[in-house]
Amino acid sequence: MRRLTALLAFVIVLAGAATGFAQADPPRGLFLMTDYPAQAVRAGETATIRLKLSNAGLPPEPVALAVSGAPTGWKVELLGGGQAVASAMPGVNQDVSLQLRVEVPKDAQPGSHRITLSAKGPLTQAPDLVLTLTVATEAPAKLSVKSRLPSLRGTPRSSFEYTVTVGNDSGKDLTVALSAQGPANFQTTFTEGFGSNEISSIPIEAGQTKDIKVKVTPPRDVKAGDYPVLIRVAAEGATAELRVTLQVSGQGRLALSTKDGRLSGEAEVGKASTYNLVLSNDGTAPVEEVEMSGTVPTNWKVEFNPKSIPGIAPNEKKEVQVSVTPSDKAIAGDYVASFRANGRGESASADFRITVTTSTLWGAVGIGVIAIALLVLLGAVARFGRR
Amino acid sequence: MPPSVAQRAPRRLGSPFTGLSAVFMKEFSDHLSSARMMVLMLFVIVFGALPVGLSLQELRNITESDPFLFLRIFTSAPQRIPFSFTASLTLVIPLLAIGLGFDSVNSEFNRRTLSRVLSQPIYRDALLLGKFLGGLATLAVALIALWLIVLGAGLLLLGLPPRSVEVARGIGFLVVAIAYGGVWLAIAMLFSVIFRSTATSALCALGVWLFFVILWPLIVPVLTLAMTPTDVAMGLGRLDETLAMIQLQSTLERLSPNTLFGEAVIGLLNPETRTLGPMIPSLMRGAILGAPLPLDQSLLLIWPQVTGLIAAMIVVFAAAYVIFQREEVRA
Repeated sequence: MRRLTALLAFVIVLAGAATGFAQADPPRGLFLMTDYPAQAVRAGETATIRLKLSNAGLPPEPVALAVSGAPTGWKVELLGGGQAVASAMPGVNQDVSLQLRVEVPKDAQPGSHRITLSAKGPLTQAPDLVLTLTVATEAPAKLSVKSRLPSLRGTPRSSFEYTVTVGNDSGKDLTVALSAQGPANFQTTFTEGFGSNEISSIPIEAGQTKDIKVKVTPPRDVKAGDYPVLIRVAAEGATAELRVTLQVSGQGRLALSTKDGRLSGEAEVGKASTYNLVLSNDGTAPVEEVEMSGTVPTNWKVEFNPKSIPGIAPNEKKEVQVSVTPSDKAIAGDYVASFRANGRGESASADFRITVTTSTLWGAVGIGVIAIALLVLLGAVARFGRR
Repeated sequence: MPPSVAQRAPRRLGSPFTGLSAVFMKEFSDHLSSARMMVLMLFVIVFGALPVGLSLQELRNITESDPFLFLRIFTSAPQRIPFSFTASLTLVIPLLAIGLGFDSVNSEFNRRTLSRVLSQPIYRDALLLGKFLGGLATLAVALIALWLIVLGAGLLLLGLPPRSVEVARGIGFLVVAIAYGGVWLAIAMLFSVIFRSTATSALCALGVWLFFVILWPLIVPVLTLAMTPTDVAMGLGRLDETLAMIQLQSTLERLSPNTLFGEAVIGLLNPETRTLGPMIPSLMRGAILGAPLPLDQSLLLIWPQVTGLIAAMIVVFAAAYVIFQREEVRA
């Protein structure tokens, strides 16, 4: 008999191996499951515990769900698909997802509390699921913010990009709101890592860090100096701050124009015409050693007075006289002359439209020719006139 | 004979222009009411209207903005007949002037009315000047009428008014056209003074006209080539030598009143024209192409041409005057 039993067992094992792997017969029945049967919850917070009602190899049937054993003052609710549910009906070999919403009162007693969940169908009953919820004192949410390069240097026209690493050091996922405080008219934008979209908040999983780019654009007319910008990240009561610094070095910016902005003038052939240019520095730093130069048509002369300017302070204007002499053989019409101011690292240019007029001397000569012709006629009248 | 003329000259009584207005009015009214004038006018209008009508048809379809659209009526050559209004006028104005002037003096002589007119208190000076001014006034009336017709057609078909600058340039064109007509009128009168036969004087005037229209443009290049060294003519010369050759050619061309008129018209009606001579690249550097010249600069540009036309008119008239004064008028 024992032999027979051993043989039978051997055959069964062999058969099991033959069907695939050595699998035992899968368990049949209803099961109420959760990933973490023992969890920590925080007083004053709502914990959502994911549950699963699994039907293994049974015909479907409505299963009534019940919760018992919740401490007084706790609000416990079973949710399915976002709604409060009282029963579930898993199909054959299928699961139904459920959530247990546990609202822990603020004054909950520390310690472990047991909540028993039961699922009971008309024919079968799942084994009761006992959840052990431990009320812990609240671990505060914690954020960190760090930058590898907290101080950048540039001109008013450059944009300052700081790469900031925001870390979520707390035990749960947080959505972190980003903000920055800088001097007036400083513009700050946040972008994610290598993305181009501006963001105002970013979700960070527990224990993870994320790289955020903070771009600070100072106003164009900002004076040279150091400007602090406070980057603040905040999520559910936790905040962290980081102070980054913009070292703005001043930059000069030259502009060349005339007093009334008119960039055209007239010039007579072979004669010097003088125009008053205004050279101004709209930048934030002085521009030194400004040299004036000009490009004019062939055989024209151009002279600047003064030819070079030792320096222009910010917001200063200097008048430069330019005298242009069209060549003697220039043809009447419009020409372009461009004037340039080259400072150290800075330059400005202005295209000037010069209308060249020819001398009216030849007009007078023409009238003289006609006068001579008339004199010839008068002479003929005087000479040949008859009575 | 000259000594006696010289003796007589100071003894002239009164102004030489006595009776000028009478001759002028009579000549003017005769011209305006004559059948010949009607035919000539018809001729001019047909020749002017055809290019203007066709170029207006094309200008109506132009969509790009043009600050001198009205002047294009005068200058644009329609595609169907490659002949602009101004080119047509270059040919027609001399014909009109010759038609008005070729028999002004010798027909009076042949009708034996010349001695009768001169027996009135009218000097020969006044007679010739009155006839010339009468012809010129008739010519002016015809050209002004034509000009107004073109302007009116432009207003009607383009539906936009000309700018004042365009009108000013148009008036300048009119003045140049009248001066051009005056030259040919003086030439025609010169022949009418020289020849007793009207047919001969008409033939001679038309011959001069044909010479300047057809022969002169053919002769000028030959003359230029003959007067320049061979290597320059082959295009191998230096820049200044080539320029001198071009200058010589345009100087010779400008001996023809047709060239003077054509250049003056280009300068007036194409405001973009900067120079009528050759343009070398070094002069073009930095120039804004297509920018119109101001009116006064355009006038300065064409002033030698206008001067030439007016002076030629006066000189030819003076020649006619001298010959007429020395002529025997009694038949």
